[in-house]
Amino acid sequence: MADTPIISIKHVTKRYPGVVALDDVSVDIRQGELHSICGENGAGKSTLMKILSGVITEYDGQIEVRGESVNFRGTRDAEACGLSIIHQELNLVEELSAAANVFLGREHTSSLGLLNNRKMNAETSELLKQLECDVHPQAIAGSLRVGDQQLLEIAKALSLNSEILIMDEPTSALTESEVERLYRVIDHLREKGVTILYISHKMDEVFRLSDRITVLRDGKLVKTLEKEETTPREITHLMVGREIEEIDLGDSRQVGDVVLEVNNLSLPWPGHARAWRLKEISFELRRGEILGIAGLMGAGRTELLECLFGASEETPAGKVLLENQLVRFRNPNEAKRAGVAMVTEDRKRLGIFAQMCVRENISMCTLEETVTSGVISRKKEAEIVDDSVARLSVKTAGPESSITSLSGGNQQKTIIGRWLLTKPKVLLLDDPTRGVDVGAKAELYRLMDQLCREGIAIILTSSELPELLTVSDRILVLAEGRMTAEFDRSEASEAAIMEAATESALPHG
Amino acid sequence: MNKGNDTQATTSFAKRFRNELGLIVALVIVIGGTIGANLLMNGSADYLNEPVRNLEDILHQTALLGIFALGAAIVIIAGGIDLSSGSMIVFAGSICGLVMLILAPKGPDMLPDPTNVGLFVVCIAIGVTMVVGFMVGTVHTWLITIVRLPPFVATLASLVGLRSLAKILNQAVTAQLGNQVTTVRADDATFAYLSEWWVALVIFIVLGILCWFLMNGTVIGRHLYAMGGNEEAARLSGIRTDHLKWLAYCIGSVTAAIAGVLYTAKVGAANPSTLAVGYELNAIAAAVVGGCSLQGGVGLIPGVMLGVLFLRVVIDSVAKIVRAGSDDYQGMIVGFLVVLAVAFNELRRQGSGAKKSFFPGILGSITIPILAILVGTVIFVLTQKTQGVTVGIVAGIIIGLLLGGLKLTESARSQRT
Repeated sequence: MADTPIISIKHVTKRYPGVVALDDVSVDIRQGELHSICGENGAGKSTLMKILSGVITEYDGQIEVRGESVNFRGTRDAEACGLSIIHQELNLVEELSAAANVFLGREHTSSLGLLNNRKMNAETSELLKQLECDVHPQAIAGSLRVGDQQLLEIAKALSLNSEILIMDEPTSALTESEVERLYRVIDHLREKGVTILYISHKMDEVFRLSDRITVLRDGKLVKTLEKEETTPREITHLMVGREIEEIDLGDSRQVGDVVLEVNNLSLPWPGHARAWRLKEISFELRRGEILGIAGLMGAGRTELLECLFGASEETPAGKVLLENQLVRFRNPNEAKRAGVAMVTEDRKRLGIFAQMCVRENISMCTLEETVTSGVISRKKEAEIVDDSVARLSVKTAGPESSITSLSGGNQQKTIIGRWLLTKPKVLLLDDPTRGVDVGAKAELYRLMDQLCREGIAIILTSSELPELLTVSDRILVLAEGRMTAEFDRSEASEAAIMEAATESALPHG
Repeated sequence: MNKGNDTQATTSFAKRFRNELGLIVALVIVIGGTIGANLLMNGSADYLNEPVRNLEDILHQTALLGIFALGAAIVIIAGGIDLSSGSMIVFAGSICGLVMLILAPKGPDMLPDPTNVGLFVVCIAIGVTMVVGFMVGTVHTWLITIVRLPPFVATLASLVGLRSLAKILNQAVTAQLGNQVTTVRADDATFAYLSEWWVALVIFIVLGILCWFLMNGTVIGRHLYAMGGNEEAARLSGIRTDHLKWLAYCIGSVTAAIAGVLYTAKVGAANPSTLAVGYELNAIAAAVVGGCSLQGGVGLIPGVMLGVLFLRVVIDSVAKIVRAGSDDYQGMIVGFLVVLAVAFNELRRQGSGAKKSFFPGILGSITIPILAILVGTVIFVLTQKTQGVTVGIVAGIIIGLLLGGLKLTESARSQRT
């Protein structure tokens, strides 16, 4: 039957400890369409795609492909069914060549069982040419630009003859010209009859490309709409689910003296063509101010914060003055003592201690203060932890419950709480709302505002521009490791920031 | 209200020390089983006939292994691994013996006479040995944190290198003193006091209390657990992970050095070719049986101490039942217990023990006959004196059929779902 949907998602539910990522979602995908899945961070888009592509194998509900019920046990099963996914965080083996990546796991071999590199190189070359990508098949994947790496993943999907391609926020790390190229590739794929599932929260892309749009919110299906029957405004509205609370936070804040001054900060990048991860960054940060850092993936946002926190791999060049004192942190310990705190981007990998409880996670940085005659005083520890839990209104069954039983937002609060106990002068927040649900985000914004009013200076990075625009007093824009613009709250707009963020760095020497 | 809190406290105690309580139960079962088996087979049980001698013997062995197992456990909890303890033991023993030999008074044949060097020299020798332990731990830390070798490689180098160094150092120093040998004598009368069973036991218990205090009561201990659980997060929380590693690897090496002194005193000599071969794995095994995870960040000191005791008791029990040298069975028992302990923890963590398929696919099909052959072989070895080869073969076939049946039910179940 012609109108059997190519994919039929039926009542799919996925629970994680403490959070329902997907709640009874049902969607049909038609043969040959470009179907966008929209939703805020944490809406369940990525979870759904991971289920479709066989990354997540345990869930409730049913998936049908071409009318047949499937139960993928891994990405191999999904690929065999003609389903490929291009992850937001690309999945390449960086040490291998382009061709080796394209054919990873299904290498061409000669009759002797040896690798047939010539054939693989030739085919990769052909595929990349189709994609307007002039990368040599023997180039090492890790040395390629993000845009080219992404095309490499698409080439891999093409070589699998995938009929269904899932793209998870493919433009989040691309420059404007790379985005245009990606659009042309997508048009080309659609001419070949490939069905595309496109995950994004950028309305211009969604409306330019889609046939139909499905909106998810907090793990639930909101609606599936024909593009012609809706407007970007409506979709945004559905995504957020309520009027975005106009929490106008910044207005009555009083900005104080300069607390941090950065002069010509550069971070070398040995062995890379660009040579610098960061190049000649200068700015000032004042007491009670929130400074937003905008930039695409790989622009150097995290690296900048790491430099200020003494956590960078290489030693940065340039000067950093904290309260007019020249500082040169060799490790985070020195930064902590000097009054700089950092909440890291990847909460799970770099933030929480998964095997420990909430109490131990909160007191980690300030245990010394609870010590009486060499021993940790459980009583003092409990006191400071209870204070933090109450102050940040962390929702937990108790300080002894496991940190992993908390939702993302509450985990983030415990980590912020951990650092607030060090009484920092400067708080560095690296994409603190990533993977945090909408309600908890608003709480975090209010918390930041409150901290500023108490005199802490905050540097905030975020992958979401609306967030930066809501919270920041000023916004710096990074592009390829350089600072390309600085906006005051009044002059900043999404369009202006994007323009500065995609501005290609000055031509390389 | 109060009552509710009480029950919560007791359940959390039971939960926290689940592993330790389990080990105590297992200990009682093993000892009871051994006595029962001995009574059944011979009408008398060695444990009942000579309880004091057996107790001393087991406690002595437990204490010697336990001393450096504590060090190995702390390194493991801190997220590392120390493979060098076996070689460190013999290296430390050699250093201790050599220092005593060098400082020994000359005998009538103009050769040093180490049989009566006096307390002062013994103390110097032990002091030097501890410093050497610290030096080895420091070099390990340097290799791991600055040169960035994986802990496995850094300590593997010591495992291989230190034993060989002990050998050639013994030869070189004794040659200088006039009589080249590989095995250094350490049979001084004062030094020999250290071979008493209670000396090792007291040191083990004192060290155990110190380690428990360190790991459970101090900031350093908490930070060691944090580093073992998530090293990057620990570093980014302002914890000096390099200093912590230094401490952990030095505890590892110094405890091995202490054990080296005691083993040398027990034997009366340090022979690099035979002393403490493979002991590093026993220490790691004891830590794992005691509840440490090789991923780091998990494990309690009382658990490790019980793990050591359990390991020694099982080895001793098998020796009592089989009535053969316990050394021959030791490796097999340790291997079996480690697999059992880790598998048990892993299944508990996955929480799906009942539904899990143990023999899926072709790997499962081929594993079944291998396990059957293994079990058959072990049964044959244990029963061959009285039964010949038949019992082993029959046992192997029965195990094969049982596991085959299990696989069939498993695959039937997975088809249904």
